[in-house]
This record gives sequence, C-alpha cells and structure tokens, in this order.
Amino acid sequence: MFAWPSASPPWLALLRRLVVAAASLALVATLVFATFEWLADPAALRLGRGASPEALTALRAAMGLDLPVGTRLLEHVARAMTFDFGTSHARGAPAGQLMLQALVPTLAYALPGWLLGTAAAIAGGLAAARRRRFDRALLGLSTLVISTSSVIVVALAQHLLAHRLGWFPVLGWPLGGAGTSPLAYVVLPALVWALLQWGPDVRHYRAVFERELAAPHLDGLRARGVPERRVARHVLRAAVGPIVARIGQRLAHVVVGSVVIEELFNIPGLGALLVAAIHEADAALVQAIAVATAAVTIVGQALCDGVVWLVDPRVRRGDVT
Amino acid sequence: MRPALGRLGWLALGGIGGFVVLALGAAAGLWAQAWDVPVGRPYMSPGTGAWLGTDALGYDLWAQALQGARVSLVAGGGGALGAVSVGGVLGAWAGLRGGWTDRLLSGATDAFAAVPPVVALLAVALALGPGVATVVLAIAATQWTGVFRAARAEGQRLRAADYYRAAQAMGAGTFHQIGWHVVPALRPVLLSALVVLFAHAVKVEALLAYLGASAPELPSWGKLLARSGSELARGVWWPTLAASAPLALLVLCAQVLADRWRRSVG
Repeated sequence: MFAWPSASPPWLALLRRLVVAAASLALVATLVFATFEWLADPAALRLGRGASPEALTALRAAMGLDLPVGTRLLEHVARAMTFDFGTSHARGAPAGQLMLQALVPTLAYALPGWLLGTAAAIAGGLAAARRRRFDRALLGLSTLVISTSSVIVVALAQHLLAHRLGWFPVLGWPLGGAGTSPLAYVVLPALVWALLQWGPDVRHYRAVFERELAAPHLDGLRARGVPERRVARHVLRAAVGPIVARIGQRLAHVVVGSVVIEELFNIPGLGALLVAAIHEADAALVQAIAVATAAVTIVGQALCDGVVWLVDPRVRRGDVT
Repeated sequence: MRPALGRLGWLALGGIGGFVVLALGAAAGLWAQAWDVPVGRPYMSPGTGAWLGTDALGYDLWAQALQGARVSLVAGGGGALGAVSVGGVLGAWAGLRGGWTDRLLSGATDAFAAVPPVVALLAVALALGPGVATVVLAIAATQWTGVFRAARAEGQRLRAADYYRAAQAMGAGTFHQIGWHVVPALRPVLLSALVVLFAHAVKVEALLAYLGASAPELPSWGKLLARSGSELARGVWWPTLAASAPLALLVLCAQVLADRWRRSVG
C-alpha cells in the first residue's frame, strides 16, 4: 500500500537546498572564470601570435576585457547563473546550443548503459548479499573491473567484440554510415558503459543489501512463514534510499558521458566536446558544460531526495537521514 | 594498531612494494635506462632481444613500462596524500567545531562536489599545463570531498564522545587534543581513504596521460595506451600489454589492499 505522505514538506531544508544550489553554481562559474583569467587572455588567443598591440587593445575594449576584474567576474557569474554562456569563440555559435547538440549522442549511449548497469548492479548486489556462492564470484569480477582502467576496458572491448569477432561495427556515428541500423553503433558503447558502471556499483548495492538483510524485522517475516520472494520485496523497499541516492550520483556522469568511450568510438558527444573545448581554451564552452552539468547534478540530487522522501516514511518522520 | 590483512592483503602490499622498488631502481638509474633510444627494429615481437618487444620507433617496451611506474606511483601517492590531507583537516575541523564553521564548510564542500570530476580534472589540467605536479593537484582537488565527509562524520562522533569531553573539561590544550585524541580517532578512516584513493589516482593519472595532460618528458602507461590503440587493430598486441598489464596489476594490488584493510578495521 502506498500511503500518501501527510507530513508537510520540510520547507527549511528546501530553502537551505536552494541557497546551497545557487552558491554551488556561482562557485563553479567563478572557478571556471578564475581558471581562464589565470591561464590566458581571450583576446590574444583570438588574434593569434602576430597581433599588433593596437589591435589587441581595441579588441580587448570591444570584448569588455579592459574593465576591472571584479566587475567582469560579477557580470560573468550573473550571466552564467541565468544560463547565458555567450558565444564559443572557436566555433562561432552560442555555447549553450553547441552543448545541447552534443548532449544527444551522449545520452544515446549513456542512458541505456546507465539503466542496464544499474539494473545489473542491483540484481548482482542482491544475489551476492543473499548467496555465498555468488558472493565470491561477483566480488572478484567487480574487483577486476574496478582495477582495470576505463581506457583498457574500452580498447579491449572494441578490439575483441568489434574488430575480432565482428559482432558490432567498430566505430562511426549514425549520421555517417548508411546500410547499418543506427542502433548497432550505440549497442557496444552502451554495453561498455554498463560494465564500467557495474563494477563499483555492485559492491555498493551489496553492502546496502547486506545491511538490510540483517534487519530484525525480516526474521519476524520469516518466522511467520512469508516466502523468500516476498521478503526480498521488503528488502528492496527498505533499501530504496541508498539505491536512489546512488542512481542520482550517477546522473551527473551520464550527462557528461565518458571521454574515453567517445574518443575511441568517435562519438560527437559532450565528453568529446569538453576535451576539444579545453584544448581550444574555449572559455564560453567550458563554462557552459561545467555550469550545466553542475546544475544537473544538483537538480538530480534534489529529485532523488524528493523521491526518497515520498517513498520512505522513515525519512518523512525524521527517523533516519 | 595492526589490522590483520590476511594472506591476500600481504601479497597485495608486497606487490605495491615491488612496484616501488622497480620504480626507485628505474629512477636511480639501476635498470631500464634504454627507454628513449632505439634498441632494435620497430615492432619486434616479445622475446626477440627485448623482453616485451619494441614499439613503433624500436624503443624497448619493457624499459618504458618500468619507467612508467615512476609517474604512476608519484601521481597516485601524491594525489591520494593531497586529497586525504585537505579533506581530513577540513573535515575534522568541521566535525569537531560544529555550528557555523560546519555549516559553511559543508556547504562549500557540497558546492564543490557538484562539479562532475571529469570537468574539474580537465579544467585543472588545462590551467596548469601538462606535468606530474598538475596530475597530483588535479587528483587532490577533485577527490578531497569524499574524505571530507568521512572525516567530518568521525569528528562529530569524537565531539560527542565522553572521553573527549572529559579531556576538554580537564583543560587539555589544542595540541594535546589533536595528538592524543583527534589523530588516533581519524587514523583508520584516513588510512583506508588513502589506499582507496591511491588506486583511484593511478587510474586517473593513466586517463590524463591518455588525454595528453600528464608529464610530457617521462614515459607513462597512459601515454603508451594512447599510442597502442591503432597498433592493436593491426595485430601488434605487445604495446597494449606492456601498458595495461602493469597498470591493471598495480591498481588491483591497491584495490585488494584497500578491501582487506577496510574489512579488518571494520
């Protein structure tokens, strides 16, 4: 039975959340600004090495770079907080738009990979916590995945499954090739993503389920002859908090994507865009990606806390945090 | 305090020690000196003169793999140490003080943790330019938030503990408190975080080297991996092996050690 919460939302906690969220975004924007301020002069970057001092001064004035640092910082942070990131100087398009374009390919492989990895990790964690037999094997496998650098996992998967066995196309993004279904290009990156995420997650869920399985109310259920399948449902319900929290943490990774996967599979996603933007010292683009992903992280965490608050009556009553 | 590591734990510790010895020897010039001069034809297969074969320029891969341990160990150890000291000090301070100190520090940490680690890593790498110091700083700057939370929780527990309050009531000085109560209370948590972060930092170094942000003058496993991708497709598997086997082995040792440690400490 799903009882609708009768307690009123914790307004004070919500207010604190909003303040922290705004401060986070301001801090991120400031950090990126400081990084670029410290690193390089955008006007000099745009004109190149042989620029005359007069042209440089003129461009600096036109770009507003001759204003005091404090003024520019405030203006910059205020614009970033309203998600107005300006124009990417290397690509000549609005940074926000470029970022949204790159988000589509990233989500195309990261979202299925994320779902698959999470489902497999929850199932594996539950199996490992309940049966000794699976425990050793799953923990060993997870240790192996964690110990292998993502670069190695991606390169090996691509080599073995695509090059050698030919089960998947090696690389290429649906826009380029005809003849193969666009789905085929997404499957292997998604599988690799799921494996990389499964390694650490399965240990996390195993620890969560181990704690929940030791709870005394389960002994009560079993003593009354409730079948194991039903007991597992009670375990899952009680473990919703930590599970949702972990899923929320992973959300930020999904949005940035994997730099390695995108590089090796030649996917024009957000991770690849970030690396390119950093190599080009593209302040507007880096700013856009950093602030937007931070915003997604914050909103995702807030959503997860909301879900836990709705589902778990213990959290509503303030029994557990 | 001597946690029981078990046979596997000691084996892992020995493995890390072996890597340290190999790296020290390579740094001191005892072995693996011929890593930046050709020793034979390009793409010699393993066993024919060079233990692990040669790469595209005829350089010895065994020597490069040994030299690569230097960067990995320094970056892993330095990054983990940096993250643990920053996170540990700030976290202990926030947990022991409580009140507004705690609120401000926790809020700042939450704000910091909201930046996805990849973004922060690459931004730091860009700001400082390629180098080992960059990698150490980037790892420390992105990993301290987790240590902060663990140290803060431990600090809060200590703050409420009877023996600590008794010591305060008896007028124990700040330095006595830190040396006699705070450091011993935090030691298990921080040491455990140190080993876990070491494993993580070695992987991060490989990733940064793969992306071209690590030390330009020294060979590293990540750089070897970046070059070996196209060779693997042509059937030249030994550069990939020379880079990935030591990397995976070192991280595996650290990971096993971290698990054993955590289990024995509790």
